[in-house]
Amino acid sequence: MGRNGKLSNVYLAVVFAILYAPIAYLIFYSFNSGGHMRGFEGFTLEWYREVFADTRLLIIVLNTFIIALLSSAISTMLGVAGALAIYHVRRKRTKNTLLSLNNVLIVSPDVIIGASFLILFTMIGIKLGFTSVLLSHIAFSVPIVVIMVLPKLQEMSPTLMDAARDLGAGSWQILTRVVLPYVKPGIFAGFFMALTYSLDDFAVTFFVTGNGYSTLSVEIYSRARQGVSLSINALSTLLFLLTVLLVVGYYFINRRAAKTPAGRGLRP
Amino acid sequence: MKQLVRIFAIVFVAAFALMILASYLNKSQGYSGGNTLTIYNWGDYIDPDLLKEFEQETGIKVIYQTFDSNEAMLTKIEQGGTTFDVAIPSEYAISKMKEENLLVPLDHSKLPNLSNIDQRFMDLSFDEGNKYSIPYFWGTVGIVYNPELVDGLTFESWNDLWDPRLKNQILLLDGAREVIGMGLNSLGYSLNDTNEDHLQEALKKLSTLTPNVRAIVGDEIKMLLANEEAAVGLVWSGDASEIMDENDKLDYVVPEEGSNLWFDNMVIPKTASNIEGAHQFINFMLDPDHAARNAEYVGYSTPNAEALKLLPEDISEDERFYPDETLTGKLEVYDNLGKKMLSHYNDLFLEFKMHSK
Repeated sequence: MGRNGKLSNVYLAVVFAILYAPIAYLIFYSFNSGGHMRGFEGFTLEWYREVFADTRLLIIVLNTFIIALLSSAISTMLGVAGALAIYHVRRKRTKNTLLSLNNVLIVSPDVIIGASFLILFTMIGIKLGFTSVLLSHIAFSVPIVVIMVLPKLQEMSPTLMDAARDLGAGSWQILTRVVLPYVKPGIFAGFFMALTYSLDDFAVTFFVTGNGYSTLSVEIYSRARQGVSLSINALSTLLFLLTVLLVVGYYFINRRAAKTPAGRGLRP
Repeated sequence: MKQLVRIFAIVFVAAFALMILASYLNKSQGYSGGNTLTIYNWGDYIDPDLLKEFEQETGIKVIYQTFDSNEAMLTKIEQGGTTFDVAIPSEYAISKMKEENLLVPLDHSKLPNLSNIDQRFMDLSFDEGNKYSIPYFWGTVGIVYNPELVDGLTFESWNDLWDPRLKNQILLLDGAREVIGMGLNSLGYSLNDTNEDHLQEALKKLSTLTPNVRAIVGDEIKMLLANEEAAVGLVWSGDASEIMDENDKLDYVVPEEGSNLWFDNMVIPKTASNIEGAHQFINFMLDPDHAARNAEYVGYSTPNAEALKLLPEDISEDERFYPDETLTGKLEVYDNLGKKMLSHYNDLFLEFKMHSK
């Protein structure tokens, strides 16, 4: 056991080193005064200053977060409703079909989703910009939320609901006092997944941005193609730190949820 | 439940707060007023100070958007839904856009500065009479090489690439027209040649180049050459100047047999909503002083004869980027060969790629 454990630890360390090395490399060079990624010349915060001096970039950062927050919140609501609907379907075949349809949307390539949104929006005359980006982000986030919430619902013992009903709870009360508190970890997981997906989605967003409206991923991509400026490194570093913060936040919410089990006092 | 409601309420409040902040920033920058001009250009392809100056001079707010390939730009403009007032595609994309009726004819009376453009770069095959497009930057296709790694070779001729000493040392651009064109040029043919015998001959010649070809790559060719991963590369002159900025050991040359002459031109797409402003902008960029500053910032060759006089000598006398008359006489613009011939070029290129490892 001892030897085996050590070996697997080393393996794990190597894997993580490989995964994080490019990010560390990128962060390291964001402080390089030399202006390129070959050889470190000296420490500078110039690139960060450049990021903050660029108002258009700041507007794009804000846009990105507005879209991420709104789309993940709205898609969480829709997704929870969807998961409840699928959960309550009686016939097994219909249920499986619905679930598969949901999964198809998750695995289908982003480029295709993006292209079809572009065609749809221009066909029905929605101007590309905030609305089109928001709608498409909601659309690709909903299936993710569904798949995060549904297992929690299935894990829940049906007797809980029966018991609540026996004690005189109405459907609304069952939903808000029993079901939702129970699946809360799933809801949060879905919300945070949607948030990160929306923050870094490029393929879909690329198609549906327009009229001066852009998000970070699209902007970074088009800037990076013409020689990488280190201000992109600086910006990526900031984004990376932010996602780390989000993950840590999620971790703490999860832990708190674990300490006070769902629906205080419902379970023995 | 309470916790859920609370957290979602916080999320929405935060989102709206950010929205207010964003619209405040937008207003303070003037992006939300009526008088705006949307420019669709390659990333980092204009001196940002010029945009600010244009805004001050005309009171028009510029919204600057970027694309990374002619194809991406075409798709966006074809689909509509966005209002791009000025776009800057390459010449082959312009002939395509002309065919598909995506361009607004230019009013030359509103472009008095047009006379500054060198006559050599006007009235070319892809847009006769410059009805739809005005040159922005131009360049060539040539060879970037590292003198330290090539044993004294200098590449006056395309045929120098076939030197056995270059075994496994050449990077090629992943472009059918560029590579087949190089094959045709090395045999002394036009790079718009459609004669099947000549094309087969070029393919045969190219296949003997394969031992020297290390890889056929895309945009990463710049990084690979700058990092000295290979000694020689076939690239566009614009990329070459970027590579040489990164690594000053390298040199660029256009072989004497001639090569491709490419253009990025300013056009007004059908999606434009501010056609008046678009003309103002094009005229602004044609001003010698503005064009010179832009050329200095971007590092590509300006087609503006008056601007060239204003550039420092070490730029304007650099024959690598402003080749002399004899060589420019041999440079050719890609003709629009038509769909069938283009796909034949692509097939030939594919065949070449399959045989090169």
